[in-house]
Amino acid sequence: MRSLEIVEAGIQATVQDYPGRRGMQAQGFFPAGPMDHLAHRAANLLVGNPFSAATLEITLGNFRARLDAEATIAVCGAEAQVTVDGTDVAVWESHEVPAGAELAIGIAPEAGFRFYLAVDGGFDVPLLFGSRATYTMGALGGLDGRPLQEGDRLPLGEPGASGRRGLAPGVRPEYSREWDVRVVRGPQAAPDFMTEADLETLFGRAWPVDPNSNRTGIRLESHKFEWARRSGGIAGGHPSNILDNSYPVGAINVNGDLPVILGPDGPTAGGFVVAATVTHADFWKIGQFRPVGDTVRFREVSLEQAVEADRALDESLTDASVEAAA
Amino acid sequence: MTTTVSPVIAQQPGQDGKPGITYRQAGERAVLVEYGEMEFDLALNFLVLAAKDALDEQPPTGLIETAPGFRSMLVSYDPFALSSTVLLDHLQSVHDALDPDRGITIPSRVVHLPIAFDDSETRAAVERYIHSIRADAPNAEGGTNIDYVVRYNGLRDREELYETALATEHWTGFIGFFPGLPFMFPLDPRDAIFVPKYNPTRTWTPEGAVGIGGPCYAIYPVESAGGYQLIGRSLPIYDVRARNEVFRENPLLLRAGDRVKFHRVTEEELLQQFEQVHADTYRYRIEDATFDVGAFLEWTATVADEAEERRRRREEAASSTPVP
Repeated sequence: MRSLEIVEAGIQATVQDYPGRRGMQAQGFFPAGPMDHLAHRAANLLVGNPFSAATLEITLGNFRARLDAEATIAVCGAEAQVTVDGTDVAVWESHEVPAGAELAIGIAPEAGFRFYLAVDGGFDVPLLFGSRATYTMGALGGLDGRPLQEGDRLPLGEPGASGRRGLAPGVRPEYSREWDVRVVRGPQAAPDFMTEADLETLFGRAWPVDPNSNRTGIRLESHKFEWARRSGGIAGGHPSNILDNSYPVGAINVNGDLPVILGPDGPTAGGFVVAATVTHADFWKIGQFRPVGDTVRFREVSLEQAVEADRALDESLTDASVEAAA
Repeated sequence: MTTTVSPVIAQQPGQDGKPGITYRQAGERAVLVEYGEMEFDLALNFLVLAAKDALDEQPPTGLIETAPGFRSMLVSYDPFALSSTVLLDHLQSVHDALDPDRGITIPSRVVHLPIAFDDSETRAAVERYIHSIRADAPNAEGGTNIDYVVRYNGLRDREELYETALATEHWTGFIGFFPGLPFMFPLDPRDAIFVPKYNPTRTWTPEGAVGIGGPCYAIYPVESAGGYQLIGRSLPIYDVRARNEVFRENPLLLRAGDRVKFHRVTEEELLQQFEQVHADTYRYRIEDATFDVGAFLEWTATVADEAEERRRRREEAASSTPVP
């Protein structure tokens, strides 16, 4: 069986698949899966894999790995210097690499924070509760439920497509240091929990991303909202407190004064209001936030617009969007 | 800007002994279904568990999963296979078919767990919070959350808090947060206490920590962030490596509908038992039992006056205690 050996893992590299481990939220498991589902899916498309095939999610870069057999690979995500045996190769394109080749990903210097490495056939770690996604909070999935380390050897699935391919113009998204993210308000917004002015603040300003951010959540910056209630009553004295309930992935959860966007490894439930929820179509962006210096603005859309945005993104990621590379 | 005035997408008034239902949009892939009002009424939780079972038995095409809360249920769906209108109609028909008769009996185990109050690991978590997140939090004064919980509820002293936590069985209303965390509610209304959550939340909590937030108790299954006031520490309740036989069938110790009864141990004893759990020499004490909802509701009515009197006293103390 073909395999890939980790030579250098960088700050965090994990095996992820899409849509992750669903059906277990009632037991306290968020789905895990790629923090940027767009780059994960694009990388799989380029090497001829289904979206469900496992990729490696690589944080910031500084990553090296060796393939013990011929393979087709693609790296999608941040712009960075990517080399195969020392020769530059383009990101967001697939490449055929020979047996024994060493792949290296440098540090993302500008916008973007994560990379997805797809190999034809996918990474063939065991399925656990229907998914290969690493969920470090639960210490399961991926390789022994943990981030990858130097010397780890990951088995690859049956060889699939080969050839150099790229994406049609417009498919690769533009990255930024000032992100614009579409959200749907609620489940707990105005008028019951927050004031309309609070939502104008939430949607009207640029929020800095806190360095204490990771796959469980993106912390923003504390802000004294007005709140529609004076107190959380029996749920706790602060007006952000509610009787504990389950959260959607992408919830903008206001913990006291601090808004946090819940990530794919985030808490599944708790007792704080969720002012708005990030659309699936834009959820991928939070995976590319750099935890120092990036800002995010939230733009409110309707439920119908959110579904349309999801549909448009899905339709941009089909075999029709793959073409032979120049 | 497109403005939906309210995230409430539908509402059904209460009728025939059943509470009202509020449907809230939770992104374009989930609906949050809330029962009744925001009050500490365990009957709402019994209804949630019945509704979840009924929905899991007859899910509409495109439903992904349901995750309960104390008085709510998050229903996740695929918007390309199931429209929110069709989903809401389906949910309403499930609710209409629910039997409002509260005379049901639920399978409910009694799980006995040790607790060491004011142990050094949870104190370390509070210290860490003071040093790295917020130095002036009123709930962390003196390097502990315990005195704040005592004060907020007008309790005599720490001992009265400990007695309150030990006296009652705690109802596991649902599981969530991180794998296996029980959201637990005191079954004896006289032992109900309330406390605000952290502001902002902690970034670290030790495994096994026991905390209180709002009316709810929790045992932290893994090292994680957290927002509850910490009062002590219990044993592992999640182990995917199944080092103890209790985790062999299922890495989660607790499930919705279980009752937890705490007994007091010293920190030294607790740490020893922690090791015994990992060495597979500790045996968790779990009784198979059932829970008679009707009898419970009748009994709570008999202690309602006493519970109300205590609640008033606690609210009075709360009103003069700062909120984080």
